[in-house]
Amino acid sequence: MNYFLAGIILIFLGGLISLAFNENYKAKIISIFSFLGTVFLSIPAINILFTGKIIEKVFYLPEPIGEIPVVIDSLSAFFILVISFMSLLGIIYSQGYIKPYLAKNKNISSHFLFLSVLICSMLGVVTVQNIIFFLIVWEIMSLSSFFLVIFEDNKKEVLSAGINYLIYMHISVIFIILGFILLYIKSGSLEFNSFKAILESNKVFADTIFVILFTGFAIKAGFVPFHNWLPKAHPAAPSHVSGIMSGVMIKTGIYGILRILSLMAVPSIAISYFVLIISVISALYGVLYALAQHDLKKLLAYHSIENIGIIGIGIGIGMLGLSYHNTLIALLGFSGGILHILNHSIFKELLFLASGAVYKQTHTKDIEKLGGLIKTMPATAILFLIGSVAISGLPPFNGFISEFLIYMGLLKGFVIKDVNALIILVLSIASLAMVGTMALLCFTKAFSIVFLGMPRSIDAESVEHDVSKIMIFPMGILAFLTLLIGLFPQFALNFVLNPANILIKNNLIVNNLLSISLMRIISACCFLFLAIVAAILFIRNLSTKNKKSEVKNAWGCGYKNLNNRMQYSASSYVSPFLSMLKPLFIKHFDIKKPKELFPKEAHFKLNIQDIEEFYILNPTIKANKIFLSKFQWIQGGNTQRYILYGLIFLVLALIGAVLL
Amino acid sequence: MTIKLINIIILIIFPFLFVGLINKVKAFWAGRKGASILQPFYDFVRLVKKGIIVNKATSIIFQIAPAVTFASILFAGLLVPIINFKSIISFDGNFILFAYILGLGKFFSLIGAMDTGSSFEGMGASREASFSTIVEPAFFILLASVVALTGNYTFESFSAVLQRAGAYGVLIIILAVIAIFIMLLVEGCRVPIDDPNTHLELTMIHEVMVLDNSGIDLGLILYGSAMKMLIFASLIANILIPSNLSILTSLLIYSGIILLIVVIIGTIESSVARLRMSHVFEFIFVMSSLALVVLALVATKLYGN
Repeated sequence: MNYFLAGIILIFLGGLISLAFNENYKAKIISIFSFLGTVFLSIPAINILFTGKIIEKVFYLPEPIGEIPVVIDSLSAFFILVISFMSLLGIIYSQGYIKPYLAKNKNISSHFLFLSVLICSMLGVVTVQNIIFFLIVWEIMSLSSFFLVIFEDNKKEVLSAGINYLIYMHISVIFIILGFILLYIKSGSLEFNSFKAILESNKVFADTIFVILFTGFAIKAGFVPFHNWLPKAHPAAPSHVSGIMSGVMIKTGIYGILRILSLMAVPSIAISYFVLIISVISALYGVLYALAQHDLKKLLAYHSIENIGIIGIGIGIGMLGLSYHNTLIALLGFSGGILHILNHSIFKELLFLASGAVYKQTHTKDIEKLGGLIKTMPATAILFLIGSVAISGLPPFNGFISEFLIYMGLLKGFVIKDVNALIILVLSIASLAMVGTMALLCFTKAFSIVFLGMPRSIDAESVEHDVSKIMIFPMGILAFLTLLIGLFPQFALNFVLNPANILIKNNLIVNNLLSISLMRIISACCFLFLAIVAAILFIRNLSTKNKKSEVKNAWGCGYKNLNNRMQYSASSYVSPFLSMLKPLFIKHFDIKKPKELFPKEAHFKLNIQDIEEFYILNPTIKANKIFLSKFQWIQGGNTQRYILYGLIFLVLALIGAVLL
Repeated sequence: MTIKLINIIILIIFPFLFVGLINKVKAFWAGRKGASILQPFYDFVRLVKKGIIVNKATSIIFQIAPAVTFASILFAGLLVPIINFKSIISFDGNFILFAYILGLGKFFSLIGAMDTGSSFEGMGASREASFSTIVEPAFFILLASVVALTGNYTFESFSAVLQRAGAYGVLIIILAVIAIFIMLLVEGCRVPIDDPNTHLELTMIHEVMVLDNSGIDLGLILYGSAMKMLIFASLIANILIPSNLSILTSLLIYSGIILLIVVIIGTIESSVARLRMSHVFEFIFVMSSLALVVLALVATKLYGN
């Protein structure tokens, strides 16, 4: 526990000390401190994760604060590892990414301070088990990440995205506070552990609490229909912040859901189906809109929604296993879901960092303007490719492992002898398959439009070299991890078995032999596959070695002078698929058709708007505005009037106190 | 062991014969004599002997993509039962790995096509990727339904359908065969989805993706897509072959069924025109509907009164 405290303090100190240094050294200072902090944090975390024991300690602080109970069990330990390690990589990357801003941006000092505050508060969220302190660190987390999002606050859209994010986070916290207040009233205690009894005895109450808290945490995690802040905030934030936010921070929402689950005895069947279905919808919705995006970071943000959905499917199937008292299903579901948390944080951070590298060199996030970058930025291209294959859930990378576990959970779910279960499970399997192929369509688009072919604009053409080594290095580690987990899933499974056991609670009955032996076979299969690939590439190289190979233009249907403007664009690549699902999109065309005999200029641009935003969010905001404008007279701008309001409030409070 | 060896030999040799026979059937319907059924093999050897032409715009991706795609198809072949219900690699959930490893191959063939920067190949890639987004879920619905019925988590679960479901089983088997046959046509890019013999780039799907490939790369691509068709044909054969046969009988029956599939494909290609591009989705949705009917049948069998 002392190591844990030392780790947090070190990371926070890094932020503080960096204030004193010159701009050029800030990132370096905070990297060193958070490296040390991560080392200190991982000692107890790894120990707890593999042994499954629980460490508790109460910290005493001077009066208004009082006691802070801190509990680290293997679920917390898992999240501590993910948070500290992924944040560290993001910070190392920021050393290179932040350079162009050093001269121009005045926010550098506060940026690094808030970065360290964000990491500390996330660590707090996953360890503090007391309502009040949980809410305090939760709020610090939301606020510090808000300041990180508005790093480039001179841009109007960044500011509006930040405020949008802030509003969403506070709606989220309303639900969380509501749930906690109800728990406090029923149990009379502020400690998480004391909720167990009341949640176990009163089923209806437990379900209500779960739904309220789930809603609150789902906003943070980005489940549909509470996802709208993600595709706005992620593109606005600097890339390492997007990486940390999408890779790690939204997972605190998942942590909240899992923590509540660990306090509940057995979730009811209806609740389990609720989680499963909302997750399936999130996954499909996220990937569908990701397909339509041409802003690289927005595309990745929608993929976060998809992956949160996949994690949710794992959790849902785990809950289903619990409610039908089948520990095998529960184990497969929870271990798949929790492993996907780890996997997603790895490949999503990798992709965000790589997209940041592209942005740094080309200054555009619009993929229609990119192309051919594999020639000038080969390392970034290969790393992005690895991330793309991993996020599409394809073997031999890590995304496949967690999706396989979730598939197995869904398939084993057929032992539930119920026709509704059969239909829902089969349709979930089909949705998961569809999500996989749509992710494939989306990432072949993203990778090939950004990195392959010929440059589509002067921005892409003028790139001279790859980003610096300090930016490549963290991405390299992440790419290595995706492959490592993909090739040795039987060991990766050890990371998630103890956290999954906390959710299943009776670790005596749980039989993890099946999943381990399956993972062994998959590992062997992946190696065999790589061997086949290597053999075929070897044969191919052998056979082409002594033959002349010519370099020619692409086949242009007889036309000789193909140029970069004739390539397929991202819009056209996804057009056949999107036109099939026409009703699900609100399309905004921006077309200027070629006119006259010798047309001078013409352009075509397609923007796709979120259907939820168009049909639900915007009308709600509009109605809200009209409603609230009725009360505008209250805010008269007159000081005397405000003093009068204060007086009225005091009088009312007095009367209320007397009456009660 | 012998069965596994025979399976591997079939997997490697039959793809050439498969395409050769289709061409022979088409030649028969056209009233021609046709090329030897070994012609695809000769073509392959000829392509391997040739040098390669590399497009100026391409990168390393273009060079490795055909090999990765071929490897993925070959590996997928190891997961599918060929004769006697035995996959070479068989474990619970192997059909998930099968679909995803084919997905990896598709990923590389798509980015390989996009690497050329040619709009034709982009067009082909876009179409092929879009079609597979509908095929895959239908495939999973079909497999998951059969798994639910039999409680066997591998491809071999089809062998237990009849004894589990009786009369329903016959219906399930017929529907499953048709569904997988449609999948074969889509994945193998045959008429009515795509015409391998077309010579107009604008209407092509798979063929247009490989316009710039040459030499051994093109050879691997052609061999790979033939092998892919054989894999799906083997799936169909395994749904139909009764279990507990000796190796020789099942080999004979297997060859017979493959031959029948070849004749059907050849006949379709000689008698039907390919669909308009906008109707291809509708055709593939037939497969989804069939899979859903199988699901409904399984649900009725298991829980209907």
